[in-house]
Amino acid sequence: MATVPVRAQAATVLAAVLQQQASLASLLPAVSDKVAPEQRPLLQELCFGVCRWAPQLQLLLNRLLQKPLKPKDSDVQALLLIGLYALKHMRTPDHAAISTAVEACRSLKKPWAEKLVNGVLRSYQRDQQSLEESVANSPANLTAHPNWLRKQLQNFWPQQADLIFAANNAHPPMTLRLNTSHQSRDDYSAALQLPHRLTPFSPFGITLDSACDVHTIAGFDDGQVSVQDEAAQLSAGLLDLQGGERVLDACCAPGGKTGHILETSERLPQPLSEVVALDLEERRLQRVRDNLQRLRKQATLICCDALATDQWWDGQLFDRILLDAPCSATGVIRRHPDIKLLRNATDIAKLAALQLQLLQALWPTLRPGGRLVYATCSVLPTENNDVIAAFVAATDDAKHLPIEAGWGIDQPFGRQLLPQVGGHDGFYYACLEKLVS
Amino acid sequence: MAILKILEFPDPRLRTLAEPVTEVDDSIRTLIDDMFETMYDAPGIGLAATQVNVHKQIVVMDISEDSSDPLVFINPQITVLADDTLPYDEGCLSVPGFYETVDRPASIRVEALDRNGEAFTLEPDGLLAVCIQHELDHLNGKLFVDYISPVKRERIRKKLEKSQRQRA
Repeated sequence: MATVPVRAQAATVLAAVLQQQASLASLLPAVSDKVAPEQRPLLQELCFGVCRWAPQLQLLLNRLLQKPLKPKDSDVQALLLIGLYALKHMRTPDHAAISTAVEACRSLKKPWAEKLVNGVLRSYQRDQQSLEESVANSPANLTAHPNWLRKQLQNFWPQQADLIFAANNAHPPMTLRLNTSHQSRDDYSAALQLPHRLTPFSPFGITLDSACDVHTIAGFDDGQVSVQDEAAQLSAGLLDLQGGERVLDACCAPGGKTGHILETSERLPQPLSEVVALDLEERRLQRVRDNLQRLRKQATLICCDALATDQWWDGQLFDRILLDAPCSATGVIRRHPDIKLLRNATDIAKLAALQLQLLQALWPTLRPGGRLVYATCSVLPTENNDVIAAFVAATDDAKHLPIEAGWGIDQPFGRQLLPQVGGHDGFYYACLEKLVS
Repeated sequence: MAILKILEFPDPRLRTLAEPVTEVDDSIRTLIDDMFETMYDAPGIGLAATQVNVHKQIVVMDISEDSSDPLVFINPQITVLADDTLPYDEGCLSVPGFYETVDRPASIRVEALDRNGEAFTLEPDGLLAVCIQHELDHLNGKLFVDYISPVKRERIRKKLEKSQRQRA
């Protein structure tokens, strides 16, 4: 028996991303099952690698093609990008990089493309040096970011833009969050066999020197540790939980922060009275359920649009709200490099409008004197500072609480973390208090 | 060790019923070694003796990540344990370059002899279960294209015959 060539599978996945139909995270699990186990790491590397370097690879491909491919042939385009990626970034011998891409045409049921794929990849191989020189100084080549995003990042973060590009193009670190209710971070660190370092800003975080299978990590299966980036570990502290509060986690999937809130509850003089966790999609809520089960924690999970308070809210006020709002995810590009292909400039204003709507919808559910923490994994002020500024300006009983911290960059409203090579993701937090009238 | 020639659909020899192996001796073990070399070279994850024109009930397989888990099945027998089926995009070294979805029983038990002639039992799932059924079909003269529509099968036959003529 033979399995479908991994490059054909990768091309099918990447074609859907190129057409902006679906993300790698939604496509890969099903396709991974169709590939022989030995090929799964390669499938992963091809899909993530092509997305990560797509702006550079596409630039080369534009030079190599006589005319652009039709939209219905985006699988052939994907196969060409895979071939270029292999020639440029992988240790596969050149002839193998080319022949495997050519063979995959037949599995895609497009044998006519064999000649094209062979010709394009051979031209690159032959003229690699002059081609690379011809694109060397192009901004898309220098930053490996789409033009709209590059311009926004350079505009908003002129000092830091190059560091952001570098962090977005690097491989992300794997960071753990320890439940410190049962053992101290120092004790866990001393016993941990894997090479690691302690996170500088989160008192719960441990960053592994290299990623590994979660089930091999001491304490993972029994819920003592979870995988969560350091930036996301800062949310529970910002909620300023004192004990006994009713807490809403408004866009909770996959439940990392929900779990952290519940772990924090163990250390309070009095446990939280209730944690309500909402998410829009049942499929995503199932992941929250799985996560909480591993942590042996309970929350009230509701599958509903957070905007529709008339449908899910029981009228009981919350003392704390965490709104980890849907966003462009431009702070976690290194974890989701397909964002480079999936997002457009026009998405950002739409997201900012949704973020403001969510704040407005949830605000009435917050007790006067209560606190709302707004979070995104975006690095664009349009979705962060500007949303909070607009909300505070339009809401009489909303007071912005500046965050005093050693991390991130102070903004007029809130604090911005930019992604760091080997360190935390890009993230944004703002704290709002509801004034007692 | 040698790389053997793999028969291609629609070669009628692929329809031959394989005979049980009566004694697992050194000649059988040499054949098994050659079949592994042929399978790894192709590359494939399973190969039946029928495909290399030896009509004995012998299957070799390896679905591991690093060619580290070679499995040998001599005189294999399959029992279907439940009604549930698993769809999988199958390909075949005897039908090179074509892949089609086939539904097969998801839970089975396999009884066979290993390369030393010792009997063993396995209850595989996932790809392993799919692959062993695909290979056992070969020993019974059956191919995965027998499960797909006649129109698709004919199209594959014509294309393969054309490329075989071009190579001849």
